Amino acid sequence: MQLARIDGVIIATACHPSMGRYRTVICQPLDEAGRDEGVPVLAVDPHGAALHSRVVYTTDGSATRELVGDPHSPLRNMVCAVVDPPI
Amino acid sequence: MRLGHVIGKVTLNATEQALRGGRFLLVQPFGKPQFGGAGMNPLAKGATVVVYDELGAGLGQTVGFTEGAEAAMPFSRPTPVDAYAAAIVERVFYHPPGPNPRA
Repeated sequence: MQLARIDGVIIATACHPSMGRYRTVICQPLDEAGRDEGVPVLAVDPHGAALHSRVVYTTDGSATRELVGDPHSPLRNMVCAVVDPPI
Repeated sequence: MRLGHVIGKVTLNATEQALRGGRFLLVQPFGKPQFGGAGMNPLAKGATVVVYDELGAGLGQTVGFTEGAEAAMPFSRPTPVDAYAAAIVERVFYHPPGPNPRA
């Protein structure tokens, strides 16, 4: 799983049917100090995480296929946790 | 899933049986500036990917493609594909914290 920050969303009408159920968000991976690390990746977000909120996304395709309910879905990344803001 | 620009097409002649009739695109994956709206000129650095496409993406369009074992999931028979175009992206709303990348 990877710690990341939500930096936006994408709109895609022509897409695989399994992408129709949830938002596809742009996740910017973060390193241990919370700095940006690498290129943003896209993930399916069932939790409705807010913009700039920190999340944890998984790269386990089988969990994502189970979420979208389609055994033939090509999706891989899924936001599986929204991190509480530091107090 | 990663985003990329479609920069070309690949036509195969000697292929595996499962790949016959497939449509393959040449996709240059986005770098971080491309998310902020930088176009295809100059292209992002990095390896160009050959992506199996069933949506009919054209030249210059932005596609979201997945890689690895998940890319072979949409096929009914085992297919040696490891990059699959899952979406043709119309709009990218990219607003990282801090100064606006387009300003």
